[in-house]
Amino acid sequence: MHLSIGSGSAYANDRLETAAAMADSGRVQYMGFDCLAERTMALAQIRRLRDPSTGQDERISALVPILRRFLASGGRVVGNFGAANPDAAAAEFAENLRALGLGGTRIGIIRGDDVRAAVTEADVALPELGTTTRAVADRIVSANAYIGADPIVDCLQQDAQIVLGGRIADPSLFVGPICHELGWSLDDWDRVGTATLAGHLLECGVHSTGGNFEDPPYRVVPDPHNLSFPLAEIDDDELIVTKLDGTGGAVDLRTTRTQLYYEIHDPARYLTPDVTADFSDVRIEQAGPDRVRLSGARGSARPDTLKVLVGVDLGYKAVAEISYGGPGCVDRARRAEEIVRRRLEPIRAQIDELRIELHGVDTLFGDRIAGGEPAEVRLRLAARALDPDVAKAAAYEVEYLYFGPAGGGGVVTSVVPAVVVTPALLPRSDVPLSVEVTTA
Amino acid sequence: MKLRDVAYSRSGDKGDTSNICVFPHDDADYEWLRSVLTEDVVAKAFGDLVQGEVIRYEIPVNCCLNFVLTRALAGGVSKSLRVDPHGKSYQSLILDIDVPGREEK
Repeated sequence: MHLSIGSGSAYANDRLETAAAMADSGRVQYMGFDCLAERTMALAQIRRLRDPSTGQDERISALVPILRRFLASGGRVVGNFGAANPDAAAAEFAENLRALGLGGTRIGIIRGDDVRAAVTEADVALPELGTTTRAVADRIVSANAYIGADPIVDCLQQDAQIVLGGRIADPSLFVGPICHELGWSLDDWDRVGTATLAGHLLECGVHSTGGNFEDPPYRVVPDPHNLSFPLAEIDDDELIVTKLDGTGGAVDLRTTRTQLYYEIHDPARYLTPDVTADFSDVRIEQAGPDRVRLSGARGSARPDTLKVLVGVDLGYKAVAEISYGGPGCVDRARRAEEIVRRRLEPIRAQIDELRIELHGVDTLFGDRIAGGEPAEVRLRLAARALDPDVAKAAAYEVEYLYFGPAGGGGVVTSVVPAVVVTPALLPRSDVPLSVEVTTA
Repeated sequence: MKLRDVAYSRSGDKGDTSNICVFPHDDADYEWLRSVLTEDVVAKAFGDLVQGEVIRYEIPVNCCLNFVLTRALAGGVSKSLRVDPHGKSYQSLILDIDVPGREEK
């Protein structure tokens, strides 16, 4: 038994041509698409609240034609394309498949990750906000549990060629196909740990092949404009991660190490819906050009609780910027900051959080790194308020800096909804899942 | 000497927690790196950017020091008003740390 599986997406707006290259490579039997980040889910729920027929991934109609040959030759696809609306995603897949002459394709739909009702009924702690769900119930716009590989395996066993759901956890998109194809039991924890390692290295797309890596002159990869999604070749004895031939980037000890511990806290206890994975003794060997062999992943029983991200409406966020250049630019920008703060005093109590900083000086690290006088700076105001008019008023005060101090130019302002997504935990029994396999 | 001269890094986010993994360019420098790049040194470099604590996990098999910084992202990627709410740039701030020179090998 042997499986080759490639990544097709690492976030909601990932490059379709990179997915097309994987689909047409002839190298993989499966593609996994991670379409969600922490904030994406809440934004999708807001789209669905405005229009109940939406809330799914926004690339489906553009993606299906790209996958036509891959699907026609029997390739299988797993993705969290559902976002806030798995049924709408399935319907959009079906419509596009029929239009391409691929009617009859079996689509597995996973439902049940949307736990908005359950989190308010149970009054769940929201530790990062220092409150509970009931206390902010009227502002909760979404709650989605990270769900695992078991419903994916269920769909694949029912011959689904496309499997989609909402907040399927990133590595689980790959764990499902791996365990299904290799016949690995979902409670064989060491093997699920190995499958999770493969999923972890694939779900962030080009992060494993030279993306987010270069820092010349120390770290340089060839042709960084043309990166490949990663793919894994896996059987009972071996896990290989590699990339497509003819692409840039690199798969080597350094690129693999940096991604191995990305967004992991205790490496011996990486919690997913499928397993408590242990990556503390993972060995990486170069097995060929842009090809690494990984071994030593382990696992123990999966957690009894599922992580839930709860979206809470915090009103509106204003961002406004203006530039100053030449001699004295920092002093003029600091003067501008004083003026804005004075003008905002009458409404300051209605602004929940306010930052005013200077690009080129202190936006990223505050005062942690001191530099010399820059040639130009850009003042940036960011404010959050429940009342949209207060947010707009804060942005307006940056626009009005056209009238002093001298030489301010290039004002850009925006006011957008502010939704925080914050973690919580629910017992698995509060997250009943169901699957349905339909035909396009 | 800056840490960047001898090590590389990557940072990621989960909620209001940032993790930054650091690796020496040369595996032979791992023990030395472990001795100089302590939790306290990293906490001092980040100052009030981190409102929680700095925890270091050691992964010798891959010459990795993984720093977990709690309450470090101004409320998390979706709440933060910072320019870089993910803390993607933290991997660069950690490389700005001044480290003592190594003894010649």
